[in-house]
Amino acid sequence: MTDKTQALRRPASDQPTTERSVPALAALQLSYRVVLGQLTSIARIIALTLLALVSTVAAFALGRSNADLEAAVRLISALGFAVVIPVVSLVFGGAAVGDLRDDKTLVYLWLRPMDRWPIVVGAFLAAVTLTAPITLIPVVLAAVLTGTGGGIVPGTIIAGVVAVIAYCAVFTLLGVWLRKVIVWGLAYILIWEGFIALGGAGVARFAIRKYTRSILVDRTGVDLDLADFSTPVGIIVPLAVAVVALALGSWRLSNQDID
Amino acid sequence: MTTLPPPAAPLAPPNPDALATNAMITVNEVSKFFGSIVAVSDVNFAIDGGVTALLGPNGAGKSTLFRMICGLTAPSKGSIRVLGSDPRTDRTVRGRISLVPQQDALFDHLSAIEMVQVSANSHAMPDAKGIAHWALEQVDLADVGAKTVGQFSKGMRQRVKVACALVNDPEVLILDEPLTGLDPVQRRHMIALFHALGDAGRCVLVSSHVLDEVARLGSRVLVIAQGRLVASGDYRDLRSLMDDRPLRIRIGASAPRRLGTALVERGLVTALSLDAHNGPGHLIVDTLDADGLGRKLAPIATELNIRLTEVSPLDDDLESVFRYLVEGR
Repeated sequence: MTDKTQALRRPASDQPTTERSVPALAALQLSYRVVLGQLTSIARIIALTLLALVSTVAAFALGRSNADLEAAVRLISALGFAVVIPVVSLVFGGAAVGDLRDDKTLVYLWLRPMDRWPIVVGAFLAAVTLTAPITLIPVVLAAVLTGTGGGIVPGTIIAGVVAVIAYCAVFTLLGVWLRKVIVWGLAYILIWEGFIALGGAGVARFAIRKYTRSILVDRTGVDLDLADFSTPVGIIVPLAVAVVALALGSWRLSNQDID
Repeated sequence: MTTLPPPAAPLAPPNPDALATNAMITVNEVSKFFGSIVAVSDVNFAIDGGVTALLGPNGAGKSTLFRMICGLTAPSKGSIRVLGSDPRTDRTVRGRISLVPQQDALFDHLSAIEMVQVSANSHAMPDAKGIAHWALEQVDLADVGAKTVGQFSKGMRQRVKVACALVNDPEVLILDEPLTGLDPVQRRHMIALFHALGDAGRCVLVSSHVLDEVARLGSRVLVIAQGRLVASGDYRDLRSLMDDRPLRIRIGASAPRRLGTALVERGLVTALSLDAHNGPGHLIVDTLDADGLGRKLAPIATELNIRLTEVSPLDDDLESVFRYLVEGR
């Protein structure tokens, strides 16, 4: 045996078995840590935080003008739930698996003795970890700064958490499935939710925004168009959509070609 | 394994009936289509422990074949078995194989030791940190393990990828152009490492499009061109086949017709033509004795009072070798 072969020999206790498999929880932690590190970019975080702060500044101005609860709810809905949370979720959710696939590092997680779903769920949790503080703190602070009370703060917290989970899951799925996820995601946010889904109650059922608006309306009693679900429905349906999106993403990741 | 056939006729692929069913890697009648593009066509081979080189020009289908062997993409036709299992569907076999991908992709935010540790953890290895350190030692990167891989040169990144592939002590190691970007010292070191793994009974399959690399990688070669396996066998047979083939050379001279006539009369060339593309002062010759032509060309030119302006081989590239292997010309 050559010297090099001797060097290759590891201690007996380190020798692997032929039936190794990564437990799901360990795989999930691994995926979470790797994706979180990949997603964490100072420039990206600063830019998205500034975007989120727009809602805070607008709410502060509204609060200074002694606006009523309805104006405050409209502002939170239009800025926080229609722009800030979906866009930030798109950036992080779409990149969670999408960046790994695009930069071809996905192979380091895919070609391993582990299930696929922990990769997708770990990536989703990493996206939520970054999206939640960047969006929820400024948007909830905006709700506080309107100074209107009347359930707007708890409504914003509940609807915000639901929105972050649902959008991150849907955009994680898009990142698994599609290239140019930002383009598709913006098309969903701007064209589907921002235009087509406003056309009627039937179409609006297929927009996450309808459910988050419903929670806000249900908690404040303010009357907004296309927001007529109860709080339980507004919570359960988006969360169910999130579960389905992650399941679909896991299935897709198992069956797609990897570069 | 089918030995290299004679060069005069197009080479037949290996006989699928002869494939060893218990080999570590068995590729049986495998084709891969991307729409109307045939990336890999009816490839058959079976290989066992030791180092095997997969030789082919860029775009020949090497990476696609490797991706199928690793289960990253399914064959459109045929079947692949790695250690007796389908790598696309069998989760456990993925713990027994490793791939060094061609693309320069790493988790750039991680240090080298963290990157290799992630690889060890993703194989459920105990003492991932210890194994990561050991793997970095194997590729001479232990002393820079704390630096982030994003700061590394291409050669260092290449070695990190190899370290990542070593952590699970793989029975099958697939390396897609692993020597790209390495300096000569590191190339020698890596080749020695691959041979050590092969000597230890691992199945090491290495791709390259550089002929000289293959000479050092191993005696067994698979030659792939245009998606087809055109030859397989011992490298020395391939080398002698190449040495025997005619070499095409362009010669620039002040009197090309007179020089060409003299070369034919003295039996140094087997064919010649005037090279109209490069102006009137050039001719193209085919020779079976490149060394002899090289030695005698200048004295002949001096004797005839002809000034030589250029002597350059035209087909000393790998594509010409494949053309010769596939088409016999």
